[in-house]
This record gives sequence, C-alpha cells and structure tokens, in this order.
Amino acid sequence: MLERPLILRGELEYLGPGKLGKRVDTPYQEQTTVADGTASVRRGTRAPRTFALSQAPELEGFLRGFTALLGGDAGALARDFELAARGSPASWQLTLKPRDSRLARRISAIQVDGTGSAARCFRTRDADGDLNVLLVDALADTKVPTRPSQPLVDALCRGFKVP
Amino acid sequence: MPGRSARWILLAAWLLALAALGAFAIHALRIGTDLRSFMPPPQTADQKLLMDQIGEGPGSRLLLLAIDGAPEAQLADLSRGLADRLHSDAHFEQVVNGAFDPATLDDRLLAYRYLLSPTLDRHTLDATYLGEQLEQRIEDLASPAATLLKPLLPRDPTLETLALAERWAPPKPPALRDGVWFSADGAALLLAQTGGTGFDPAAQGAAIDALQAAFSALPEAATAKLTLSGPGYFTVLINANTRAEADRIGAVSTLGFILLLLLAYRSVPSLLLAALPVASGALAGVATLALAFGTAHGITLAFGFTLLGVAQEYPIRLLSHRRAGEDALASARALWPLLATAIVSAAIAYLAFFASGVSGLQQLAVFTIAGLIVAGLSTRHLLPRVLPARFRDAADTPGLVRAATFIDHLPRPRWLPWLLLALALLVLWRLPGPLWQNDLAALTPVPPDLLLRDAKLRGELGAPDVRYLLILDAPDADCVLAVSEALEPGLDALVKQGALDAAELPSRYLPSLATQRARQAKLPDAATLESALAEAGRELPFRSGLFAPFVADVETARTLPPLTPAEFARSPFGARLASMLVQQDDGWLGLATLSGVHDAAALDAFAESTQGHARLLDLKTASESLVIAYRERILRALGLALGLLAVTVIVALRSLRRAWHVLAPMSLATLLVLVVERASGISLSLFHLVALTLAAGLGLHYALFFERPVADAAEGRRTLHATIVCVLSALLVFGLQAWSSLPVLRAIGLTVALGVGFHFCLSILMARERRP
Repeated sequence: MLERPLILRGELEYLGPGKLGKRVDTPYQEQTTVADGTASVRRGTRAPRTFALSQAPELEGFLRGFTALLGGDAGALARDFELAARGSPASWQLTLKPRDSRLARRISAIQVDGTGSAARCFRTRDADGDLNVLLVDALADTKVPTRPSQPLVDALCRGFKVP
Repeated sequence: MPGRSARWILLAAWLLALAALGAFAIHALRIGTDLRSFMPPPQTADQKLLMDQIGEGPGSRLLLLAIDGAPEAQLADLSRGLADRLHSDAHFEQVVNGAFDPATLDDRLLAYRYLLSPTLDRHTLDATYLGEQLEQRIEDLASPAATLLKPLLPRDPTLETLALAERWAPPKPPALRDGVWFSADGAALLLAQTGGTGFDPAAQGAAIDALQAAFSALPEAATAKLTLSGPGYFTVLINANTRAEADRIGAVSTLGFILLLLLAYRSVPSLLLAALPVASGALAGVATLALAFGTAHGITLAFGFTLLGVAQEYPIRLLSHRRAGEDALASARALWPLLATAIVSAAIAYLAFFASGVSGLQQLAVFTIAGLIVAGLSTRHLLPRVLPARFRDAADTPGLVRAATFIDHLPRPRWLPWLLLALALLVLWRLPGPLWQNDLAALTPVPPDLLLRDAKLRGELGAPDVRYLLILDAPDADCVLAVSEALEPGLDALVKQGALDAAELPSRYLPSLATQRARQAKLPDAATLESALAEAGRELPFRSGLFAPFVADVETARTLPPLTPAEFARSPFGARLASMLVQQDDGWLGLATLSGVHDAAALDAFAESTQGHARLLDLKTASESLVIAYRERILRALGLALGLLAVTVIVALRSLRRAWHVLAPMSLATLLVLVVERASGISLSLFHLVALTLAAGLGLHYALFFERPVADAAEGRRTLHATIVCVLSALLVFGLQAWSSLPVLRAIGLTVALGVGFHFCLSILMARERRP
C-alpha cells in the first residue's frame, strides 16, 4: 500500500500485564493505550478512537508480543513468535515471526534493535511489504529524513548517526 | 317421575351434547391476547397513536438484556454468540450488542454512503479535504488500528463507512469492552427488538422463550446469568404471575366449595350433577362467541367466567328447595318464576354492555347472556330429570331452625337503611383522595426491584424512554424525513442543555431525498477526483492507483437514484426506520424516540415552536385519558343496565312495593361496598366495576328469594338454607382472592366478598317479609 517506510519517534511503555502504552512525538502527536482488551488512540485534541482487540484477533497477538517483549517475559514471547537473535550485547537485533496464522496474514515480522538492556528501534513489516518504524530511547532525538530509503532506515536502527 | 333408565339416557345425552359443544368451541374460537381488542375505540389523535404504539412502537418492542456471572472474556463471547443466534431468529428484527458489524452496509448500500453520511454537508471531496484525510490515514496505518482499517482504505479513504456505523449506533452507547457493550458493573449488555407487538403476551412469550433457549444452547452459558427487562418481558411476567396465583387460589377455593356442598347436601351424585348447568352455560357462552365473533379476548373469557359465577346459584336453589312428597321437576317448576325473573333481568341488564361500543364488552355481554340463559334452562328442564330420587330435605338441616328463629327475631328498624344511606353519602362526599384509579398499570404492578433494574439498564444502554415520543407530522414519508432533518439542530441544543440525554430521529438513518440530491451534486466527476487525489497525496507515501476503487464508487454514487424509505427497508436498519415511520389515513407520522427525558416541559415548548410539525406525546397521559373514556362508557352502560333491571323487576313482580323491597337492599349494598373501599383508601378501577356488577347480580338473587312470600316455615328455612350455601360459597371463592398479593385479584375478590356480605345482611333487613 505504501511506497516507503513510515518513521515515527516516540516511546513504548510497559504498563503491566496486558497493558501497553505507545506515545508518538513526531511527525505528529499520538497516545495509544491498550488495556482490558481495548485499544484507544488519541490524536491531538480529537476524541479518541476506541476499538476492541477482538475486532481484529490478529492485533491481539501483535500487542501481546510487544507486551511480552517490554515486560521481559521470554516464555510468552516464544509461545507466540519464532525468535531469532544476532549481533552483540552492544548492538543486537531480535526478529519475531508470528506463529499465529491470522497474525501472519497481516504482519510478516517484527524487528527490534537495541543496545544493552534498551531497545531503540521497532520495525513492523506488514504482510504486503509496508514498513513501520518506531524510534525510541536514544534515537528519539535523531533527525529523521522525510523520504527515507530502506538502507537509511537500517542504518538508523543500528545506531549509526545519519548525516 | 322418569324411570331409572330414562334418567341415565338423558344424562348421557346431556354429557354428549356438552362434549360436542366443547369440541366445537375449542375448534372454532380463536383467543386473542392483544390488549387493544379490549380497549374502547380511540377518539383523539393521541389516543389513536397510543393504540398503535401499544405494541408496535419502537420502544415497547425493545428487550434489554444483561449477561453477568462469568469472567469478562466469556461474557463477551456469550454476547456475540447470542447476537449471532438471534440474528437468524424470526422472532427478532434487530439485535445489537455494540460489536462492529461489517454487514451494516451491504454492497448495495456501500455506494450510497456519500448520500447517507453528513460528511458532504460540511466538506467537498477536493484536494484540501482529501489531503487532510489521507494524512490521517497515514497516521492510522502506523497505529494499532492499521490491521483493522487497512482492508477498508482503497475503497473508502475518508472512512465514510465508519462514520455511518457511528451515526447508526444507539445515541448514547455503553462502554465497549472486548468489542461488546458492558455496563459499569461488568455485565454484557444487548438490545433486542422483537417482531411481535410489545403488549401481546403470547408473541412476547414466544420471543422470550426463543431468546432463553438460544442463550442456554450456547457453550459456557451454564455459569452465566441472563437477565431480561423491558415492557414485553414485564407483560409476560405479570401474566404468568397472575395466572399462577389465580390457579393456586382457584384450586383451594374449588376444594372448599366441594366440601361445602357435600356438607350441605350430603350427596356426591347431587354435587356432581349440580356442576352441569354452569358447565353448560360456560360452554354455550363460548360457542356463542365462536359463532357470533369467531374470536374472543382472553380478558373477555376471564371476566365472563367470573360473571357466570351467578349461575352456580341456580342448581343450589333447586337442591335446597326440594321437599318431601314432591319430585324435583315440581320443585323446579315452583322455583322457576323467580329464577326466570333473576335470569331475564340480568340478561336484559347485560344488554346495556352492547351500547358501550367496545368490542371486548360486547363479547362479554354475549357470553354472559348466553351462559345465564342456558344455565337457567338446563336447571329448569334437565337437572331435575337426572337428580337422584332420594334426597334429604334441606329444611331438616340441624341448627337451621335455630338460625331461622334467630334471624326472624333480629330487630329490623325501618330507620336503619336510611341512616346507612346518609352515612354512606356523607363519607363519599367528604372523603379525600382520587375516586378513580386511571393508571391501569397500578393494578398489575411490576415489582419495584425489577423497575429499578429496568431504569438502570435503560440508562446504561441509552435505550429510549417508553413514556415520551416526539411525533412528526407530514404529508408523506419523505416530508417526515425533511421535518426530522430540520429538527436535528434544535434537539441537539436541548440535549446540550440537559433537557434530555438523547433523541433518535428517523433522519438519523435516512436523509430526505432533497438532502441526498444535494450531497450527490457535490460529488466530483472521475477526472476531477483523480487530480484532487493526486494533489492531496503528492507528499504522502501511498502507491499511485491505490484508490481506484474509491474513484469508481464516487462515480457510481453520482448517478444513483436517491434512496427512498421503501428501498431502505431492505437494509439491516430498514426495520428500525420502518418502525419510526407510520402511515396514517391522511399523511405520515414520524416517531422520534427520546432517552433520559429530564425536562418534558422544555421538550413540549420546543415541539410547540415547530408550527405544528412536531408534538410531544406523553403515552401515560394518553393512556389515562383512554381509560377515563373507557370508564365513562362502562358507567353509562351500567347506569342503563340498572334502569333496565329495575323495569324488569317491577314488571315481573307486578308491584312497585315488592320491587322496592328487592331493589333497595341491592342498591344500598352496592353503595356500601363503594364506601368501605373508598374509606380504606382504595381508588376504583374497571376491575372493581366488573366485580360490583357480579356482586349486584348475586344480591338480586338474595333479595328476590327473601322477598318471596312463603307458604310455611319449612319453605322459609329452605330459602335460608339455599341463601346461606350461596353466600358461604361466594365468600369462600372471593374471600380467598381478597387475600391475594396481586392488586387485580384483590380488587375483584375484596369487592365481591364485601358485596356478598352487605347484600345478604341488607336483604335480611329490608327484603324479608315481616312475620307476626
């Protein structure tokens, strides 16, 4: 559907079991909260759009993955995803491939790059090839180009300073 | 005296005739349960509308459902499962539980979305607006909503389908959890609209049975609890409660009645045979209804059987008045002039019900008159021929001599009735409090805890108030929609002011043809839209050509004929709209439902300001005015009946003085019942009036028989015996009802029991021949 990756800067927060917060700072402001089976997306001053995770069962697995990841629940993560890790403690990359076929029809993989105990980049690749990138933590201050190419995104996520 | 075998042959023939009559009656008579056939013809426009609204209005067909008692996820599954099953159930027109239903807009309606949604009233599909929208879609794609919205985007980048789904959701929906509605205290909530009318207990009962069966057939349903509320559920519940209690009381009083007759006549055959005249009367009444009307209301039958209770006196009189040395036929012949007077005068009196113009009351009159005549004739001609030859003279009943002597020696001051009359009139004149109970619901009250629960569920679901409706008046359906559109801003302002929580107008579902055409005119042609899209998406990462389905849909929408209500009727929300548009003889009405009305006066003022396009209908006031009109007709009928009765009695007795002895105690006793009930703070209803009529019928018998000159003391004792048996049996049957917890049974039981007591005492005081 999209010609190039979408890059956001912001923060992901673990708010307890089954609860997740996502904040987007640029290029626009958005606050997403997932709790009690419901996701609520608030953008600017508009009324939040609320929907139930059960309306999109695949979404539930997706968010469960993120929650397990942020909560450090390796068991839960391995139950829902095939895991592959590479790199060094200073610069690692974790790839999650959904086991659930419904989720796999929508999302082909989630890639997380990080250093030490901190993640800095979440890449979600949709089944149709569209790529979503969320830069967090140290990278949140990085300047983001308006028309990023794939190699540029790769470099950003691995922590290289982009000129 | 007929021979033994002749007796048996006659009895067999009688029973066979009854069986045939019964079979015919069951086969030919349809029993209606719709309350409306028992109502008077409506006079005012509001009453007409009320009659339509009883049952057919959107509010009265709504059932509120709550599921609790299980974990939230399971409740949500149950809610979805139940909604799925009810969607395919013919008893229900619509079931909503908050879940987003992709079928809300089928393919046929999908192209109409630009005509149905108000978006084009404020925007045009130009580069600026599309640019804003596409930017938001990019943001959506990066949010968790992406998986949900992605399949919609190529065809609907402005998300018009979601805008319509939101517009068509209930005005104040409850909180969504797990995709379905939940109450604040954690119960899954649903709304179900039945196809059957709301106050038809049979239709509602069938729908509720189907609903409960569907629920208990769901997996995991065992641990959870389904709670129902709404007018239809209350109708069914009250009917079941009333019937159960009436059956319970009926069983006990029947047993007591049998014991009483056994004690009085010491003969099982006499007891069994004495039941035949009343049974004949009842079956003849039902068969006559079947022949004359083909259908009868359940209430007609219930009231009719009550009024036919008078006929039980006929065989009792015959049994008590048999005497040694005379066969039963001779006793019947001797009794007949008096019985015939009673029957004919009652039958003539019931003719007055014909003048009421209410089909339910006319049926009641036909049933009662046919029943009384057949019960009387069979007591005169059939019963004496089948009674056993051996019997015990009632005059020899132990203790009866003493009772008769006691009553004979009671002081009978002539001034006492006049004093009672003066006191009665004084009490009736001075007593505060409403004389009449106009709220029919007060007689069949819904338990307060259920009403509280209903109010709570109604509040949580934002379900419409059943009392108020906003009525829109226009020459045709499309004009109703135009009026409805014109009212929208004013009502929205009232919602903001807090006069009500929400209003649901017909134009919420379908805009008028003019509005649809205006929106259509704003749709750009394909080339303009393509270039606007290209400009809007220049800086955005959407692939080119992605929105081709959108461009095609808009092109289709440009040439669609606007949707009419008839066309819309086939959509999933068609039934909802259809229930809000009513065709009348001289135009169309729109029914807007209101939720949480806090300030009816403000709404009324708003309706006044629309130059007659809208008015606020208070269903409670309209129904009370209907009850008042109804009662006036009954009172007129009863007044006429009393006059006819007096004339008949005077003609039959050929003496004003004797007629006075019969009619005066009867009238005074009826007045005393009124006084006692008023003094106890009871407001009178239609049920009280029917009960008063029955009691007056019984009182007529007491007075007629006490007034009759008797040849000897033994005959006087037989009269006393018969009357005491009649009084005791009536007190037993209706006295038990007077203790009922249900106001409607209590109203009938108390009135008849009091009446029987007063009629008996006053007949002794005023009707009996003075003996030296």
